[in-house]
Amino acid sequence: MGELKTVFWLTLKEKRDVALAVVFGFLAGLAGVALLGASGYLISKAALTAQMTTLVVMAASLKLFGFAAAITRYAERLFSHRATFTMLGHLRGSFFERLAPLAPGIFQRHQSGDLLSRIVGDVESLQNFLLRVLYPPIVVGMVLVATVFFTSFYSLPMALVVLAGAIFVVVILPAFFALRRRKKTHATGATRGAFAAASAEFLYGFKDLKIHLALDRKSVELQETAHRYEQAQKNEGLEENRVQSVNALVAFLASFFVLATGAYFVSTGELSGLYLAMLVMVSLGAFENVGPLAALPAYYEESRIAARRLEEVVGEEPDHNTGAMPMGPLDVRVDRLSYRYPNDLRLSLDEVSFQLPQGSKTAIVGPSGSGKSTLLQLLLKVAEPEGGEIRFGNEALSGMDPENVWERMNIVLQENHFFSGTIESNLRIADEQADAERLREALELVHLGHMELTAPVYEKGRNLSGGEKQRIAMARAFLKGERLWLLDEPFSSVDGITARSIYSELLTRHPQDTFVIISHDLTGLEGMDQILVLENGRLIEQGDYQELMERRGYFYGLKKIEEQVFV
Amino acid sequence: MGSLKQLAYRQNNRIRLLCLASFAKGFAMIGQALFFIWVADAVFLKDASFEEVLPVLGALLAVILMRAGSSYAIGRLGVTLSVEARRGLRRELISSYQENPLQGSIAGQSGRKVGLLLEAVDDTDGYFSKYIPQMIQSYTIPLMLLGVIFYLNWTTGLIILITAPFIPLFMAIVGKRTKQKADEKVEQLAGFSGAFLDVLQGLTTLRLFGQAKRQSDTIRDNSLKFRDSTMDVLKSAFLSSLTLEYISMLSIGIVALEIGLRLVVFDSITFFPAFLVLLLVPDFFNLLKEFGSAFHTARGSAASAELLSEELAKSHQPVVWGESPVNAPIELALEQVSFQYGEGFHLEPASFGLEAGTSTALVGASGSGKSTLMNVMAGLLPAAGGHLLINGIPQEQVSEEAWFGKLAYITQDPYLFAGTVKENIELGMGRGAGQQELAVAAQKAGILELVESLPLGFDTMIGEAGRGLSGGEKQRLVLARAFLKKPSLLFFDEPTAGLDLHTEQVLQRAIEELSKEATVVTIAHRLHTIRNASRIIVLDAGRVEAIGTHEELMDSYSPYRSMIEAQQGGKQAWVN
Repeated sequence: MGELKTVFWLTLKEKRDVALAVVFGFLAGLAGVALLGASGYLISKAALTAQMTTLVVMAASLKLFGFAAAITRYAERLFSHRATFTMLGHLRGSFFERLAPLAPGIFQRHQSGDLLSRIVGDVESLQNFLLRVLYPPIVVGMVLVATVFFTSFYSLPMALVVLAGAIFVVVILPAFFALRRRKKTHATGATRGAFAAASAEFLYGFKDLKIHLALDRKSVELQETAHRYEQAQKNEGLEENRVQSVNALVAFLASFFVLATGAYFVSTGELSGLYLAMLVMVSLGAFENVGPLAALPAYYEESRIAARRLEEVVGEEPDHNTGAMPMGPLDVRVDRLSYRYPNDLRLSLDEVSFQLPQGSKTAIVGPSGSGKSTLLQLLLKVAEPEGGEIRFGNEALSGMDPENVWERMNIVLQENHFFSGTIESNLRIADEQADAERLREALELVHLGHMELTAPVYEKGRNLSGGEKQRIAMARAFLKGERLWLLDEPFSSVDGITARSIYSELLTRHPQDTFVIISHDLTGLEGMDQILVLENGRLIEQGDYQELMERRGYFYGLKKIEEQVFV
Repeated sequence: MGSLKQLAYRQNNRIRLLCLASFAKGFAMIGQALFFIWVADAVFLKDASFEEVLPVLGALLAVILMRAGSSYAIGRLGVTLSVEARRGLRRELISSYQENPLQGSIAGQSGRKVGLLLEAVDDTDGYFSKYIPQMIQSYTIPLMLLGVIFYLNWTTGLIILITAPFIPLFMAIVGKRTKQKADEKVEQLAGFSGAFLDVLQGLTTLRLFGQAKRQSDTIRDNSLKFRDSTMDVLKSAFLSSLTLEYISMLSIGIVALEIGLRLVVFDSITFFPAFLVLLLVPDFFNLLKEFGSAFHTARGSAASAELLSEELAKSHQPVVWGESPVNAPIELALEQVSFQYGEGFHLEPASFGLEAGTSTALVGASGSGKSTLMNVMAGLLPAAGGHLLINGIPQEQVSEEAWFGKLAYITQDPYLFAGTVKENIELGMGRGAGQQELAVAAQKAGILELVESLPLGFDTMIGEAGRGLSGGEKQRLVLARAFLKKPSLLFFDEPTAGLDLHTEQVLQRAIEELSKEATVVTIAHRLHTIRNASRIIVLDAGRVEAIGTHEELMDSYSPYRSMIEAQQGGKQAWVN
């Protein structure tokens, strides 16, 4: 239960809805029991007498209890679902509050696409916690207790039989099956993952498989992973069916023993036969509600795992450093910086050292996988280096609060997010105070002057082209107005002429600012003060364009190839 | 949904067993009510002793076990039926993917197809495991109950016959309204539920701009709006079950009144049958309601079923192969070869020959049909018309195994499979390679050093969940595959960007070396490659526009000349 503590308290935050749901659930259960009990009693009574009143009472009470049961059931559903959805809202909010301080570093350590969809899925699956785990045993338990209480007025032994059945169905069986489920995981998740991976391999690698005559073999392997997944699903389904059947059987047996006990005491004359049918019907009615309890172990386990995974994600420690970046223009010094991705054998950055004097314009180039973006992440304090250090002015980056660092930089990443809203709302993320004039200026700078500030932006900016997104991201960086620019392939989808024109505008407007531009494109680097060439995580060449071309080294080689390439 | 039904009824043994179990359950339900009342009647009205009712109690226990057993059997059959049906669907899908020659060529479809194989197939579970068993029960048990009711008291049966049809009728009306409501809200709901993911995905951007804090309120707010919209839809769904509840309640009420009248006023029925009828009628209506909810589940499967049958109905035109062997060196000839698939993938009839040992460069703008032409030449796509001649033999007569055994195909974005380095290189062989052979191939591909630097060497796991490789390393690994295979025909899609110098050099050398032994076709992106090709084929909009050497084309084909000049001029402009 420990894992579910947070969810539990968040659920209880909705006291009113939860309480109302429980009350109405209880009433609905009682009305159902009363309906059956009344019909049992009245028909027995009718068998003995010929009074017209019995008939009237019979018809009226059947209607009354029936309608009461239906209406309270309706209210119960309404309130329990409301409470659940409110709880989900709280859960999302509170989870986000804990996740936010860990980002974006946490995405560095997990595969972010996977992580995000898992978070969303896990939160969704917790909606079953109240509806199918917490709440059914409480309501069913209350109805059964009330039944025991009622029965005890007529026959204590019969009440004890109901009580025994209740304990069995509400406590023992769910606990037993939950425990059993935890011990014997069905591996549905794992086999599903394997099957998904095998399918992806089969479809994405189709051409290679075909050419290498391995298609038939792979297809058989794929069938086998599918088979394992289906087998796991089958085992899980069968277990669910088993739980359900045992549950139903125990409920029937309880009513059977109520009948047997009742019949015995009627035959010995200790109980009036008039009540026998009623008491059996009452117990049948009470045990009719136990159906939802069968699904409890499965949902309990699912909720527990989801809650645990969510806890794991936000269980990491955020960066607690509080140091601030010194004010004013700054030199940046990078000294023997190394970084290794988790579980990777080789270094992604290997003792890289360089300086960014204040006001300098630096390009970082190199083939894909050479460590350019890793370097940027270390400069942003999104990841912690394995060795070496970065200093801004006289202060080490390692002691600074990352938020303070980002506050002082204009950043454009390879992937920039756009929210559904307008162009204006997406620009204002960078500067809330900016007036329309300034926003327009930013758009014009990136050659998007034709765009209306009020133009809509759909989620993830899917109505914008790649080039437009990159230019809006640049406009955001411009609006931020800080003195240090970190740009990671900001114009890879923008045509060369536009890109060059925006660059030169930026550089002339901000001659005092420090620029760091990552690029795999080697054109337009003539104006840079220095070019850092990375390969395999090492800084292998450094100098301005002229120097590097004259040296006829690595940069020169890359440049020659680029000149050869048609795209 | 019709196709799913067929699929279910194909397992006729299970369907038969389901019918049998439903009958058993029906008998047990009747028996349970019967024996219960028997006992009550005996001790209450007939003053029987406990010993006298013991056998009846025994019978009651037996039918309870029978009822539980048959319910268990029905559930179990549903699960196995569903798993088996889905297995069949998957098998069909996989073999349909396997036979579809376009599979490897249409990018962007693979994700959707993985989705079909996983989610869409699983979505049909509700139909097989819930709907089918419930449907069979609804066809059998209510009829059995009705029969008993008619036998006991025909007027009750008549009342039921009149009132019961209202249940499906209202179910349809109310269901339609609920669906309408849900359709109205669907966009709104998708918007709110997507909002959380949207903020999570934008978290990096938000954090970098110091905007994350205020978002938790937005999230709560959106969640509450989501709740309110969902509740609107749920309300009408709950209301519909309330309505059904009322209808069945009303019917039961009428039955009770009728029974009561006969029992109390007319004295024309005794306790035993009266009580029995009163117990069986609610069961009858419950079954009808359960069928309604199962039907709802089945409708959830309908969309996926549609997608699946659409995919399975697609006809493929596989590439036909024969038996003839292929001997090196390989000479290719195209005679009026054309290709057509939907929009976008088309080639106009093309005729040219590739002499053994020559190298050919395919040149053209993106979308001009270079890849399609290469795929047709490699026998990966079926030609719509004309003939592909391999050493003079029509491709249809050549053995597939012999053909693919002789060729290598290196793409820009090679795919590595989950497995060891060794397994990935050996893929080209179809058999295990010796350590020596492997090392030579890796060395030629310039990757031996890297592999040997790994603690497990050739046994290091790569691909999914394995060690990540850079683009250049992948290229070299795939080259090692080609070196091991020693192809007589090499198809090569030259990388455009992002490779390191080392890989570039290795690629150049490797292509040269492989070219010595093989006929080579390259989708060329390097001026160097184009110049050195024995022949250049220029494509535009699916048409072969010109064929010749670099010099010939520079002289006689002006679009080629201006293309080359633009490329060089463009770069010049940059440098200045």
